[in-house]
Formats: sequence, C-alpha cells, structure tokens
Amino acid sequence: MTGSTKLPLTNDNGDYEIRLESIGGLGANLCGKMLGELGLRYLGLNSASFSSYGSEKTGTPVKAFIRYCDPKKEIRVHSPVISPHLLCIFHDALLADKDVLKGCTKDTVIVLNTSDAQDSAADRLQRLLTKTGICALYTLPAQQIAIETHSRINVVMLGAAAKASGFIPLTAAEEICSETLGRKYPDALAANLAGLRAGYESISRLQAPPDANHTYRHADGRAMAEEHAMAEKHAMAPMPIGGINPHFGSSVINDVSPSRQGYIPVFLQEKCINCGLCDSACPDMVFQFKEGTYRGREMMVNCGLDYYHCKGCLRCVAVCPTHALVKELEAEHPRKEWFLPNQELLRSPDYYEKAGADGYITSESYLTEKRMAGGEV
Amino acid sequence: MPRLRKRRFKPADTARKVRKNMSITEQISTEQITEYASGNEMAAEAARQIGYDVMGYYPITPSTQIAENLDLMRAKGQTDLVMIAAEGEHSAAGVCYGASVGGGRVFNATSANGLMYALEQLPVQSGTRYPMVMNVACRTISGPLSIKGDHSDLMFMLNAGWLIFFAHSAQEVYDFNLMALKLAEQVRLPAAVAFDGFFTSHQKRRCRRFADDAYVRGYIGSRKEPFPFFDLEHPLTVGSYMNEPDLIQNRYELHLAMKDAEHALPALFSEYAALSGRTYGPVEGYYTKDAETILILLGSSFDTALEAVDRLRAQGKKAGVLTLHLLRPFPAETLLQACRTAKRLLVADRQDSYGAGGGNLSLEVRAALQRSVMTVSVKSRVYGLGGKDFFVEDALAMFAAADDPSAPDFDYYGVDKPQNESLACADTCGPLSKAPPYADTCRSEFFAPLTAERTRLGVTKVSEQDGRAVVQGGQLNATIKIPKRIAPGHGACPGCGIPVNFNLLLRAIEDPVILLFQTGCGMIVTTPYPKTSFKVPYLHNLFQNGAATLSGLAEMCYRKQQKGELPPGDLVFIMVSGDGGLDIGMGSAIGTALRGHRLLLFEYDNGGYMNTGYQLSYSTPMGAKSATSHVGKTQYGKSFFHKDMPRLMAATGMPYVATAAESDPADFIRKAAKAAWYAKTQGTAYLKALSACPLNWNDKPESERSVIAAAVDCCFFPLYEVERGITALSYDPAAKNKKIPVQDWLAMMGRTKHLVREEYRPVVDELQLEIDRRFLCLKQQSENPYL
Repeated sequence: MTGSTKLPLTNDNGDYEIRLESIGGLGANLCGKMLGELGLRYLGLNSASFSSYGSEKTGTPVKAFIRYCDPKKEIRVHSPVISPHLLCIFHDALLADKDVLKGCTKDTVIVLNTSDAQDSAADRLQRLLTKTGICALYTLPAQQIAIETHSRINVVMLGAAAKASGFIPLTAAEEICSETLGRKYPDALAANLAGLRAGYESISRLQAPPDANHTYRHADGRAMAEEHAMAEKHAMAPMPIGGINPHFGSSVINDVSPSRQGYIPVFLQEKCINCGLCDSACPDMVFQFKEGTYRGREMMVNCGLDYYHCKGCLRCVAVCPTHALVKELEAEHPRKEWFLPNQELLRSPDYYEKAGADGYITSESYLTEKRMAGGEV
Repeated sequence: MPRLRKRRFKPADTARKVRKNMSITEQISTEQITEYASGNEMAAEAARQIGYDVMGYYPITPSTQIAENLDLMRAKGQTDLVMIAAEGEHSAAGVCYGASVGGGRVFNATSANGLMYALEQLPVQSGTRYPMVMNVACRTISGPLSIKGDHSDLMFMLNAGWLIFFAHSAQEVYDFNLMALKLAEQVRLPAAVAFDGFFTSHQKRRCRRFADDAYVRGYIGSRKEPFPFFDLEHPLTVGSYMNEPDLIQNRYELHLAMKDAEHALPALFSEYAALSGRTYGPVEGYYTKDAETILILLGSSFDTALEAVDRLRAQGKKAGVLTLHLLRPFPAETLLQACRTAKRLLVADRQDSYGAGGGNLSLEVRAALQRSVMTVSVKSRVYGLGGKDFFVEDALAMFAAADDPSAPDFDYYGVDKPQNESLACADTCGPLSKAPPYADTCRSEFFAPLTAERTRLGVTKVSEQDGRAVVQGGQLNATIKIPKRIAPGHGACPGCGIPVNFNLLLRAIEDPVILLFQTGCGMIVTTPYPKTSFKVPYLHNLFQNGAATLSGLAEMCYRKQQKGELPPGDLVFIMVSGDGGLDIGMGSAIGTALRGHRLLLFEYDNGGYMNTGYQLSYSTPMGAKSATSHVGKTQYGKSFFHKDMPRLMAATGMPYVATAAESDPADFIRKAAKAAWYAKTQGTAYLKALSACPLNWNDKPESERSVIAAAVDCCFFPLYEVERGITALSYDPAAKNKKIPVQDWLAMMGRTKHLVREEYRPVVDELQLEIDRRFLCLKQQSENPYL
C-alpha cells in the first residue's frame, strides 16, 4: 500500500459510494465484499461494505453497498447508499423495478449487464435516465462472458465495475480476486481471472441520447434528504391491530418472474397425458388444471401455465414422463403460448408487483465456500 | 457459610503485571494488523485469540456468523475450541453454565428470541458468580417476527446481573471482547458484549487486531479458580437452596461485584489504551465539551450522528453526540460529567419500555440526572425499530426536536400517526400495497374463501375399519381438484420442497384446516407483511412452542363448539415445522403427543437450519457440510447421526406416525389423509416428509425429486407408518431391486459430495451401517406387531 488513490468524486460526507443491484444467486454479495476489501488493501483507502439483509434465498433482489473514503477519515454512516457514484446492475430484468435507479444523479456512472440480443434493455435504461441525466452508461454481456470463460457473473461485474470507476486498476481487482478465491481452488481461479479481465475489457460506453441535457439533481444533501423523505412517506402506513393480515392469498399479486435464470418450461399440450406429476412437483402452483375430458375420460386437464408465478426451477420438466414440458430459453419465447393466469382468481389483479421482499444474506461462510467451489449459488 | 474471597482491585498492579508477563517472553509480538472484517468476524477472531475452552451455542440471526466463523477456524485447525451446538438457546446457556462451573473459559453468542429463551439461565450464571462472555448481536424480538436490528432483546438483560458492554463499531467488538473477559474474571461476573445486529455485526470495515495470539493471552492472564469444582479432595456444593436472610446477602454481594467493576473500569481502559493505542471510556462523546444540545444514542447510530454534528457545528450550532460503552455498570457519573454544559438532551432508544415514557436508556439517563444539580431538558425518542435505517437526516431531525420547545417530551420517530391516537388502529384493515387501488380493502379481493363445500369434494375418503383408517380414492389427478390452501407468489427459492410437500399434504385433506407454522423458511416466505400466501386461518409462533400453541387453539375451538358459539363440524388442526423446528420445539411436540391433543404435526425436514443460512440441525446427515460443520483438516462435516424423529414420536404412543416422500405422491396422499383422520378423531398424528432445499443441499432445483427418491432408495429416509403402535413398512427398496448405497445419494448433493472421496470412506461406512441397522429394525418391527 503506497499512497492512496485519489477518488474522483465524494459526497458531503466525504465518501465515494457504490451500489450493486442484483438478484440472489449472482454473487453480488461477494462482489461487494471484494470491492470493499480492495479499497482498503490495494487502493490505500478506507472502505466499508455490506449487503441488504434478509433471509437466505435465491432469485430475490439483493443489493450491496460499498463506501470509500480518505484513509485518514472514518466511515461513519451505516445507512444504505441512496445516491451512488457507481451503480452496477447485475441483471437487466431488474430495470422493471424503478427503485433500482433510485438516487441516480449526473454524477452516477452505471454498468448494466445485458446481452446483445436484448439491447432493448439498454435503450430502456437510457430513456429512463433521460430525466435525471447521468455521467456515463456502460453495458456488457456479463452472463455470456461468464459462460464463455467458465467464471461467475460476479467476477465479470467486478472487472466491469473497476474499469467503469476510472480509478480501480485491473491489477487491484485481480489481486483481491486471487486473495478471495484463489487459495483453495486454483483451477477456478484461472477461469475467474479470465472472466474478470474480460469484464474489464468488454464494457462499452453508450452515447448519451441527443436530448439528455436537462433536469437533474445534484448529489447534494438536499436532494438526498428529499428522496429520503419520499421513501419514508411510502414506507409507513397504518396497520390493523397486532399486525394481523386479512388480505388472504394476497401474495398472488407478486410477479416472481425475475427469479428465472433464462429458462422456462414450455408446454406441448399434444404430448400431455394429464397425469398431474407436474402439479405435484411445482412449488409455485403454476399449472392450471380444469375439469375436462381426456381420451374420453372425465378428469382434470392441464390447460396452461401461470408464468407470473413460475420461478423457472424446471422441476416440472424433470418429472414429466412424456416430455410435454420442455426446458427452453425464455428469450426465444417472447409470446408464451400456454400462458394462463391463476384460474382461482376472482378477478385479475390490477397490477403485479415484481418479486417481493428484499433478498437476503444473513450468513456467509458456507455460501462463500460454495461459490468458490463453483456451486450453483 | 463459605464466601468468595473479595479482592479489591488495584489499578497499577495489573498494568505492571501485564507488562511483566510480556517482557518474560520477548519473542511475543506487540504488532497489530489491519483486517477488513465485520463485527461478527471480529468477535470470532477475539474468541479464537483468547483461546476459549467451550462454546455452547444455538444459531440465530444475526449472531450466527460468530459460531460459523469459529467452526470454520476449527475445521482449518486454527482453534481447538470445543463447540457444542445445543438444541436451543436455553440448552446452549446451560452448556455454558456447566462448562464455566467446571472451570473453563466459556463463550456464547446469541440474539433476539435466542436471548429471551436463554434468559432464565442468565441470573443463575451471575448469582453463582461464574464469569463467561456472551456476544449479543442485537435484534428485535418477536412478534411479529423480524430478523433485523434493534435493542429490544438486550434491554431484557439489564436486570440479569451481567456486565454489559455496548460496542458501536466492529473495532470495539474486538476490543470489548478482550476487556470484557478480563473484567469478568476480575470481578467474577459474566459479561455481555452487545452491538447492533447487521449494522455492526455484518458491515465490513477496517479494523485493527493484535497479530500475536500470545500477546492477547498474556493480556487476559491465566484463568483463576478460587474453588475448583473437580477438586475431589474438597467437594463443593454449587447452587444451594437459600432462604432469607442468605439470599439477600448473596444478591448484595452481586451488587458489590458490580461496584467493583465500576471501580475497575479506569484501570481497565487505561491499561488497554497502553497496549493497543485505542482509548476508551465508559462513555464516548463528540463535541460534548461545550455542547448545548446533546443527542444520546447507542450503537452504530452514534457514528451516523457524528456527521450531523459536523454539519450543525459548521452552522455555528453547539451540538454534540454521546454514546455509552457500558450499560452495566451504568456509568452515571461519567455521563453527567460529559453532559455538564448541556441545556437540552435527547435520548434516542432503539426499543421502548412500553408505558414508561421512553426506552430504557432514556429512563436511566433521566434517573442519573436526578443525582445532579443540572437543570436540563430531556426528551426521549423511540426510533429505528426492526432495523429501520438511520440516516444523517434523521439525526438532524432529532437535534431539531431537542431544540424545539414545542416538541413533545416523549415520542416515536419515523412512524405514521393515526388520526385519532386513542383508537390505536383497531378498526383499520391495513393497506395491501403502498400504492392504490389495494389500500384499505378489508378482505381479499382475489380469492373466494375456502369453505368446507369447496374442499369436501369426496376425492379422498377415509373410513374406519377395525379401529384403523382406510383410504379410498386420492388419485393424483383427481386431487388436483382440491383448491390449494396457499396462493402463488410466495418467496420460496426456485425448486423449494416446502410448498411441494405442503400442497401434497393438503390435497389429501378435504376438511377445513387451521394452520400453525413454527418459525422457519415456510413461514418467512409466505407471510411478509403486507401480503400473505395463506387462504385459510394461519398463526405463527416461535420454534419452541408451536405444538403447545396449537393445542390451546384447538381446545378453544372445541370449547366454542361446545358452547354453541361455533357450528359443530370437523376442522383439522395442523402444525407445520421444519428448518430444525423439531429440535428446539421437540419438548413441546412430545408433550402435545403425550397429552394426545387432536392435531397433526407435519414436519418438512430439509435437514438443516435453512432459514438462517444452513447451520447443522440434528437431522442433517452425518458428514454433511454446513455453516457450523465445515469440512477441513480436522473436520469432515457434521459429526453425529441424523435424529430418528419418527421413532421418538412413536415412543409417545401416539396413534399415527408416518414418513412420506414426494417421490411417491400416491403414498404421500394416502398417509396425509390417514394422518388427518387420526388428528381429527383420535389424538396427535405426526407426518414427516423429506423436503428439498436446492440452495443449501447445493444441487439443481430440477433434480430434487430424484434426490428425494435416492434418499428413500438408499434407506436414509425409509417410508413407513406406525399405526396404533404397529409398524408397517411402505416400501422396501431391496425387494424392488432399487436399493442403492448411501454414497450414491450423498454424491448427488454439493453438501455431501466430498464424502465420496476415499479419505471419507470410514464416515460413509459408518453412516451406511447405521442406516442399515435402522432399516433392519424397521423390517423386524414391520414383520412383528409386538415389536
């Protein structure tokens, strides 16, 4: 550690702030930890990092927060990063949630993982941000890079974040990656370093849209306070006595599709024998059976799938004895032919809310170990 | 009566002694190194360096990582700490007590309801004067349940007779862990080191620690045992029955020990400052010297408030902020001294002593002020409950409230007030969503209620023949007709086995059901407020108490039916438990079965405490990795066999016990229907299903049904029932030529894959033997009704 890196920007508290927006399973927690630790160990800065807290599950939104500051200063605030200087979005499905872009200002650099086939996501993001105006928007196909290099998205995104920050040298990212992943699994390390470098080299900057030059707000205390006050207002509401909940079955308005990792079960009805094994294996009540006839017999007949509530676990594909359910890339099925919302609903909801509660990390040691071993965490 | 010899503390003494100790062994390094670590990691590191003898623990968020980290260090051979995963916090505290009476250095870590459950044991530890250290990663207590941080747990400890340190940073967690043990052993009192759950326990920051364990051990010194328990020449009675006037004398001595601790503090802090370069006191202030307005708060909020003070000072306002490093003994003198220039104080508490007009810190600050001549305005605020974030802006708002003469004396900060406070919201139904149009609708708009007519479709029929239940119907396709009792959109992981098993159970039960879930994944993912997945009456209660609570609920239903206040008719009462809920709640379940309460205990066994990130449970297979049974140089994973819960339950003599697996849905449905019939008409029934957890079994979600099938085929999870005391095997894999070695099943899961390696052959062999032995017993029992 010789001298400390100069931070390009800091907020009123003297901190440079990073926020990672991800879903459980992509390794954002570990990526955040690596970013935090490299600040301290290889940039000569003081740093702190943490993830959104909750219980342990895959497929739910996860946020990680990193703060850097001058090494002579202490990092005092413990609250989440509201107005990031660097925002990394690990999955373009997250753009559906507008909170993901919360607190962006003209000083915010964004890194978005999106595949070339879905460049509409980048477009969408640019349009969303036209109002705020941002410093720069970078994209990269991190998922694809991870697959090609046999690495994990989190190291690819680590490389991308380092490059986009403008002040984190590739060597620092490599060092922390080696230190975190290396000792125990040397084979995995080579692949992960390759993914890291590819991430560093693959980001491309999108040109700002021609009319992007307008109303944005500074990352000053006032603006932050305003946003904070607004968030407060939304979060609070009166509650029935003791917190009882009379809205039975109301989780049905959750749209859990962001939990999917690229694949969906596709239904080939002509092959279906209505055995019902899919329904018995589905944790999410996706299969919509109705009374009907099959081969002249009265029985419950599979009429379609409720994709609002399918998390893409593909248990149904594995148990289907006739291959009437098959695993396919969701991107190849923009129109889902057998999409049938929950049939017990009295009326269809006015809207669906994208996958519920904050994802959560409460313990680390075992998950970290699995990630290093290249597990499916 | 023998009394403990009291030693008055002489500050200069100890400091000299430590330095002397250090100089004897010159090779000991006084160097410190920088860590990037969380509060939990620093607590574990301190414990490792101290070299504790025994840790009795039970995992509970957010303190769990302390045990996890220590277990990892154990696996790597970095510590020889004896770690005992008790079956609940009450037992964990008991383990600690026993080990400390035995003369050991003893360590524990807990949070929230874990602390509440252990509470009974704490005054025993202090009253009999056995030192130990317990870390408390503070978290809000149930219910409603939340895993996030506030101080409502810790404040229950104020009267326990323990020393209580409060650390507001990860650095302090480390430092206070060392000082706490030192002080605890000096005055012979147990000590707690408390800190904010998540904010301090989980945020990683720059910390310094001593490089050399020997230096730490030199500082702590050797453990003294004035009355060794294992001295057979001088046998002791510990824990007498005591009448007055002895009891008050005992308590008086405890009070004196607290006084001793108070007197020992200056030397404790100055000695540590000399060794570490970090200076602490009982209180810590920032700009309090000339402050007119002082904000007093505990934990991580103190740091955040520092920013607010800087901003106010920049505006020329005389603001200061203050926190306490000790709650017991309460540093009243130092506190008053630090506030001497203040005209206005605002004490903000992350908990409330309901009805007392403030949280406990604010009450104690007010009480301390009684002893001074200061005239100062004091206001109390309750804020940040359940881990609600605390921003710089919040600290500024509190300063504004302190300076505003019209602001109330006591108030909650950061809540929406009802229009008419006296109504206390009794009539509101609560909004379903933050946005219209779902606000304030009083019942579900989405589903029709699941009345008996909608579920009693006669697809699955149970009748009685010779006192035993016989099932007709129940074909898989036909049972799809029974409406699901939970709605989709719950937050379980993709491929989770819990809803699968739950739905398999309920598709066989056509009577209306009343559900009680013990804490666990199944409960967390279905009921995050303001939504719920349940379409039928549902109650949550804590791990230890589900079966008992459901007994009470069922009893009340029968009574109302008797009194004619409810229509007669069969309801099926079902308790659902998993995630190790029948470890900590086993006593309650067995008690219920022994009483023969008419209800169904359904266990989804996912083989670990999955809701807290997968620590070992008693049903985790031997050899499996978990966050508290790591694999390493000195450990191969979990070290003991999986609990045979169905046999334990069968021993209560309950009328129906069965195991079921989703890999045989027809068998599952049949058993579920029978279990419900017994629960409805005969007594307690118990049904256990093996439940897949892709996240922590570390396998592919789509593979789960075949993993479950393999568990059955290798006889790890035999399918059988015990009906009126007679065992019947439902499936014998060997007879169907399906029997596989347990190794084949272990190889399917990331958590047990390592066992396939040759070096673990003895573990697998031992497990195979035990599985085969249990299965042979079952077979024998199955063939002989008297076994």
